[in-house]
Amino acid sequence: MTEYSRSAKGSFTQAATGNNVVIYLPFQPTRVDLVNYTAFANFAASDIPEAHWDVIMGQGTAACTYVGSGPVYSTAVVTANGISTFGAGLSLQFGAKQQIASIAKASPTVVTTASAHGYNVGDVVMMEGLYQSSTTGMPQMSGMLFQITAVGSTTTFTVTWNSNQSNYTALSGSPTGAYVMKVLYPFLYLPGQNFIEAINTTTGLITTTTNHNYVVGQQVAFRIPTQWGTTQLNSLPDTLIPGQPIYYYVSAVNSNTTFTIAGFPTGATAYTSNIAVSAVPGLTPPQVVAVGDVNSGGFPYTGGALYPSPTFPTFSGGVMTMNGPGIAGAFVNNTRQGFVIGSGNASYQGTPDTSSHLSGETSDVIYWQAFIDDLSSP
Amino acid sequence: MRQAEDLILRDYIISAASEINAGGGTNGDNPTNLGVSDFSLVATTLDTNNAYKFTSGIEGMDRFGTGPVRSAYFMLSSTELQTDMDGLTGSGFLSQWNYPTNSSALPSEFGSVFNIRILTSSEAPVARGASANNNDVYYNTVTGKQGVTHINQDGFSMNLIYRDPYYSGMLAQNATLAVKFAQAQALTQDTAVRNLLCTRLSNLGV
Repeated sequence: MTEYSRSAKGSFTQAATGNNVVIYLPFQPTRVDLVNYTAFANFAASDIPEAHWDVIMGQGTAACTYVGSGPVYSTAVVTANGISTFGAGLSLQFGAKQQIASIAKASPTVVTTASAHGYNVGDVVMMEGLYQSSTTGMPQMSGMLFQITAVGSTTTFTVTWNSNQSNYTALSGSPTGAYVMKVLYPFLYLPGQNFIEAINTTTGLITTTTNHNYVVGQQVAFRIPTQWGTTQLNSLPDTLIPGQPIYYYVSAVNSNTTFTIAGFPTGATAYTSNIAVSAVPGLTPPQVVAVGDVNSGGFPYTGGALYPSPTFPTFSGGVMTMNGPGIAGAFVNNTRQGFVIGSGNASYQGTPDTSSHLSGETSDVIYWQAFIDDLSSP
Repeated sequence: MRQAEDLILRDYIISAASEINAGGGTNGDNPTNLGVSDFSLVATTLDTNNAYKFTSGIEGMDRFGTGPVRSAYFMLSSTELQTDMDGLTGSGFLSQWNYPTNSSALPSEFGSVFNIRILTSSEAPVARGASANNNDVYYNTVTGKQGVTHINQDGFSMNLIYRDPYYSGMLAQNATLAVKFAQAQALTQDTAVRNLLCTRLSNLGV
């Protein structure tokens, strides 16, 4: 070790076979070593007892030892979904554009790409150019952020949106200019601006297209252009207290993408996303933004400790940010870096073993070491 | 060294503030290119929300080619939009050089449209290829006086740190140059901030 080298080590127990494991570090490693202690102890076919990765191998790869059928000890490589690094930098950075092959009218909407998309559940994507012809298609969905809720195959994924409506036309035949791209750092600041997929004017349930990251007692404001219907939720004008914005409080967090507000106005206009394609130029999407934390007053706070360490998303599967305790619901900077241990398969002499997973199987105990070196030479 | 905190504030605003898609342009995209009605719409929205303007206007003078400048909000735009704004000359855009006096204009000020004075920067946020028609989307942040604040926590403003090689390591090989700050940004009044999203009328060809 010389002046600027860094190293880190740790261990984890795999929660479920096939899970990717994210390791947060104060640096992006250039070298990673893994030891699956459970695989060393049990020695069963399809195990990956140890693996090594160097940044020069490329993102999403690894070289590993592997237990073939027999069982027999062997070597192999992981060519996809192996080890990769990440570093949340700035907003508005996108992955490569991928051609959309087709989108059928459905709710939720299933998107089919022309080639393998490589997306995972939870990834956030943006689509554009969703025209089947100059006057038909699904451009209403353009420009909004969507979180992938299911990955049906290597070329299909599902997003929360109702495209099974009269003003939507199915896309087919890989329309020119129809693309999807991954948003690399979608949650740098939490809770951020959210797009609205649906509003239930009876129950007050709001559905967002990505994780809303709100907590009970959070103060929120709505921006719903006229075309989308439920304009009564908008902040202004307040006819009771002129000049005073109308804000609402989150009364229940029903899931990572749904929440309920208190004091939903009676007689509100029904929400609709069935917007005519001709109205798309200049169409502003419906939005909800956080405007106050649980300390803003006006709503009885019942969410537990007022100053927890924030975890996102807020309903289930939450992960701590690098920040310490903060007021629940307050804005949080979510800059992170580190590496991901993917669940890629060991490939022996060009043939992948789909039962093997770099990130291990349920209850496997895995030790890792990560390094960044002063000097490296290709 | 202030660029780091500017970028943080920029990203915070585009992550947390609400947006309006331009619809006053003619390119048929979503959002459209900037039309003068978009400036009017945003200024009207902020006025309706009782936002405070930054400047009180510049009175007209008897000088050729100049015109009075209204009291205004500030908008941060990309330098790549300057050609589109020049295209609005005569229909609402007033170049900074056509102010009655530009002694009060900021160095980065490009001009004004109605109640908005426009500052341009190459660091203004752009989402490449993100419009309905695959064009670049520009985030033009318009803010009233009370919309955003910047907090130096515990009086800890930005420090520029330089340690020469002798102090940075026992082999005296590398120097350290860094900035350190303990600051936070906050939207103090969300109704006084809007991101006006737009595309360009045509490509720059660069």
